[in-house]
Amino acid sequence: MVVAWQDELDAVRDRWVAAAAQVPDLAGLRSLEVEALGKQGEVTLLVRKVGTIPPEDRRAYGAAAAAVKGQVEQAVEARRQGLERAEVEAELADDSFDETVPAHAALGRAARMGHSHPLSQVQAEVEAVFTSMGFHVLDYPEVESEFDNFEALNIPAWHPAREMQDTFWLEGGHLLRTHTSSGQVRAMHAFRPPFRAIFPGKVYRYEATDASHEHTFHQLEGLLIDRHVSVGHLLDSMRTLLSAILKRDVEVRLRPGYFPFVEPGFELDVQCQLCGGTGCSACKQSGWLELLPCGLVHPQVLRAGGLDPAEWQGWAFGLGLSRLVMMRFQVPDVRLLLSGDLRWLSQF
Amino acid sequence: MIVSWKWISQWVDTQGVDPLEFAKRFTCTVAEIDGVHRWGHGLRGVLVGDVIGVAPHPNADKLRLATVDLGSRQVQVVCGAPDLRLGMRVPFVPPGIKLPSGIEVRDGEVRGIKSPGMLASEADLGLSDDHGGLLSLDGVHAPAGTDLTQAVDIEDVLYEVDNKSITHRPDLWGQYGVAREVAAMLNKPLQPLDLRVNLAAGAPVDVAVETPLCPRYCCARVAGVTTAPSPVGLRLLLRRLGVRPISNVVDATNLVMLETGNPLHAFDARYVRGNQIRVRAARPGEVVRTLDGQDRSLVPADLVIADGEGPVALAGVMGGGDSEIREDTREIILEAAAFDAATVRKTAMRVGLRTESSARFEKALDPELAHTAALRFLRTLLDLCPGAQVASELLDAGDFARQRPPTRVIVSHCDYLRSRLGVNKTEMPDAWIVHCLRSLEFGVDPQPSGELAVRVPTYRATKDIHHAEDLVEELGRHYGYHRIASQAPLIPSRPAYTPGTRLAERKIRAALTLQQGLCEVLLYGFDHDGQRQRLSLAEPGLGRMAVRNAISRDQGTLRRNLAPNLIAAVEQNLLRGDGKEAPREGFVVGLFELGRVFVPVAGRTLPQAERDALDLGLPDLASEPDHDPLRQAWLGRLGPEMQAAVRGVLAADNPLPLQPIRLGIAIGERLGGGAEGAKRTRPQKAVSQRVFAEAVAAVQSAARALGKAELSVSAAVAGTDTEQLPAAAPDWATTWRHPQRCGWLRGANSAVVGLVTLLHPDVRHALDVPAEVAVAELNLEALLALPDAPVSGQAPARHPGASVDLTVPVAASIRQAWVCAAVLADLQAANLPAVAVRYLYEYEAPGGARSITLRVDCRTSERSLTSAELEAVLAAARLSAGQHGRSAS
Repeated sequence: MVVAWQDELDAVRDRWVAAAAQVPDLAGLRSLEVEALGKQGEVTLLVRKVGTIPPEDRRAYGAAAAAVKGQVEQAVEARRQGLERAEVEAELADDSFDETVPAHAALGRAARMGHSHPLSQVQAEVEAVFTSMGFHVLDYPEVESEFDNFEALNIPAWHPAREMQDTFWLEGGHLLRTHTSSGQVRAMHAFRPPFRAIFPGKVYRYEATDASHEHTFHQLEGLLIDRHVSVGHLLDSMRTLLSAILKRDVEVRLRPGYFPFVEPGFELDVQCQLCGGTGCSACKQSGWLELLPCGLVHPQVLRAGGLDPAEWQGWAFGLGLSRLVMMRFQVPDVRLLLSGDLRWLSQF
Repeated sequence: MIVSWKWISQWVDTQGVDPLEFAKRFTCTVAEIDGVHRWGHGLRGVLVGDVIGVAPHPNADKLRLATVDLGSRQVQVVCGAPDLRLGMRVPFVPPGIKLPSGIEVRDGEVRGIKSPGMLASEADLGLSDDHGGLLSLDGVHAPAGTDLTQAVDIEDVLYEVDNKSITHRPDLWGQYGVAREVAAMLNKPLQPLDLRVNLAAGAPVDVAVETPLCPRYCCARVAGVTTAPSPVGLRLLLRRLGVRPISNVVDATNLVMLETGNPLHAFDARYVRGNQIRVRAARPGEVVRTLDGQDRSLVPADLVIADGEGPVALAGVMGGGDSEIREDTREIILEAAAFDAATVRKTAMRVGLRTESSARFEKALDPELAHTAALRFLRTLLDLCPGAQVASELLDAGDFARQRPPTRVIVSHCDYLRSRLGVNKTEMPDAWIVHCLRSLEFGVDPQPSGELAVRVPTYRATKDIHHAEDLVEELGRHYGYHRIASQAPLIPSRPAYTPGTRLAERKIRAALTLQQGLCEVLLYGFDHDGQRQRLSLAEPGLGRMAVRNAISRDQGTLRRNLAPNLIAAVEQNLLRGDGKEAPREGFVVGLFELGRVFVPVAGRTLPQAERDALDLGLPDLASEPDHDPLRQAWLGRLGPEMQAAVRGVLAADNPLPLQPIRLGIAIGERLGGGAEGAKRTRPQKAVSQRVFAEAVAAVQSAARALGKAELSVSAAVAGTDTEQLPAAAPDWATTWRHPQRCGWLRGANSAVVGLVTLLHPDVRHALDVPAEVAVAELNLEALLALPDAPVSGQAPARHPGASVDLTVPVAASIRQAWVCAAVLADLQAANLPAVAVRYLYEYEAPGGARSITLRVDCRTSERSLTSAELEAVLAAARLSAGQHGRSAS
């Protein structure tokens, strides 16, 4: 009798251990586990059969059945680990994944890429440079009064500059600002000196458009008001700021330029980047490129700003943001900037 | 302005100076030079020849044979020039010479006759583009066979000065003024102009100046004049300065204008009727025939020179045709005057005649110069015209002669002048300052106080030298700006201010491009009226700022909203695509713009009804610049003189329009591949929902970027008490706003900050491409003014919440948001633990009945919810949703 149940236990164990070792996959192993070790599983039932064993054998039977159960569990676990490992190995050996399939194919719809306007990009960059150096960033109206656009800037009514500026006049007497300089006196009113500020924005000129002329474009005015401001200060500021904006060490030169709101007034040239100053076709063999007008703030402008020219002076410059964008990105036609054309904008 | 190096070298010793190198210094010291050209070079070997025989060409009607005496030899060449005549002196080009014009002269045959060389025109020699005849060398005193370049002083270097860089320097519009600068630069003396003339007694003509706009009118009579061509040297000089030679008298006026900068005019004395000249304002209806043969109608703002019967010249602009110098002119009246700059400029602009003369007068010429120029003309004419003599005094009429303005004196200290430049006393000693100013003909009187009293020369006093700062420029440019050392400003560091709107723009730009994948555009500040009309984008009843001098009729007003231009941009891009592939059905374009719009100021000009509807019905918080308290305070600080000047143009009387910054968003989806035909395609509801949702998502992204809570989108449909809606949508919006598919954008405090809408079907159908388009427009400052979304760092709920879903039938016109809000309110009013009601989806049952599925999120903070509690929520929600879903009331 002893032999009989022992043999039965051994046979069941051998059968399940062998079956477990041969199960081909994890799904099979899971059903095998149920058949052997589940609530109604063969091994489980064998263990439960202890009640039917004569009392004197029960202890021995119980121990033996538990051992069988443990061995079957062990075999299942070993097989599980083997199969899981094999699965990982198989995935690692699989070279069929194409990592180059693009999003629009994989997702069914391309993720739309946004683009900020190159003018915004350049303007933000320039604003960051100036902010880091303590300049306020100011924003002034595009529809301006004659006073702020002309009178305050020492451009009285009879002055030819009023015509040279080619102004858009509005019904009711105002105008579209012809330059960001219209903010100069506004800034002097708003801040106690000393201060320094830039005011970028849209400006308008009444002129026919072509590849290099637009009636609407962007400028950036710079203004510093302090005591004892000299041409030497202007030179230093321009060199420092332009080096930061153009991202290279620039050599600048000043030559006489006429603008009614600065005195002395300058055209500022930067050394030609292409030839390094030796002369090339880009700089018309001069070695220099005209970049911006600047100068010391005219005493009349200071007065219009409520400042005493004996106490306060300043420098000012006007940078063509549109032109800077065209230089930086080799834009052939200024009209592209305000075209709203995605074919052009999506490059940025 | 062209400057002749040879000419200015008459007055300044330029020996040893390379004019090409010097041009760079000139650009940095005086004015920008656009170009430097060598002129009359490459003509060595061209000879002076005398035509001693002219015979017909046997084989050609238009050609002739010229026998030319070259001193040592004679040659016969073929010549086609119509003006070839016996006894003429001409340039002869021997074979083997290549001329600057590109012509290579060969020892060849022309129509079967040997022609060893050629006779040359100005164009052949590269001296002008005049092909009309031979360059006449009559009057050249040199033996035949002399090299042309030795017989005539022909080689020169020309500077092309940028006119814009000398608008403030009337003195530089003459060669002599340029010579003055060059002399100062070279530290050489400047030779005076030859003004020696014997004048006679008696008035040349009865002159009266009847207007203050002509401060000086100098006038003289010259008799015994014989008109003839000017000598070749003078003709070529005029040529290279861009003036056509005509005759000695006319050439002399032009030459002296170029030399001194003061335009002159010579009248034929016979045609000065009544022997009188009046300088006066034109009378209404008067007409003058100018030299170019045109009859010009005049207005009283024009200044004319009139004789006894009427206008004979348009003062400072152009002479009259009737009194012009003719071949038989024997007596002339010379005019050398100073006219008011603005008057000349306005007349020249009005009649469309920008002449060499008006270009100079409008720079505000020095009245002293008129007298100098008159003398210089007389001297020149007497030289050119041997029989001529001055037959009168040099009459000097006008206010200037009666009372000269006092010399302008600027008192400044050397230390001040140096400090503006940023140089010290060692670098720029006082003596250098005095020397520099004197070399520019400033009078300098050192004062005991250590200051300098600087007398401004008259030719610099009309326009550009008023203040000590102007002297700073004189010193700086002659000292050399490149010699000034850079100095870092010592301005104290303060936190830099950036306006909130600018910071917001940056955040929104980042969110919309990086998160929403939209493309930023910058569009024109003008409304495109043609486009608005084509797209039925009219906004009737909306006041706009009108441009008085519009560039085209399409751009006659300033934009009032961003949407119209954005809609057109979306349309164009849907047509063109993004350049990557041809646009097809389902192609989506998403654009946004941040920019100002222009709203005529409410208050005085706008009717009340429009003020109420102003600007999308939004509060426009754009601060009115003129109402800025800082600016008002400043006005109070101004001196009385400036206050008076400012008052007429500023603030209270005529405030600027509101110029709010807006955010405009436009999403367009293409409905079909083909352009035409399918234009009236009606978008499926799902497409409309999608396009609209993209616009709303972009709006929410912008709000989130500014730290604002999600905006609510509330339908602008009247007739519901679920939402407090604006009383009525303004009429204007109806032209492009879809009345049934739009919503106001509101902040958590219910403030309206913008509008989102699909296009009105009429506008959609007007597009050149079948598309569904959604537009949103927000006022940036209104958005910024919303309270920030509250942020707190509470720990996650300890007890998990639970939710129940329910599906209820809902009437088609009921908005899900109304149902959700109403259900939540009902549940919370009943003290049920509901915290949110969300819309999941909806479906349309066959037959058109609509059902929506909602999810109610439930939670209590102290424990998990029981199933009984959830059952109660579900039952209440069903009841509530059933009610609210049937109708809006």
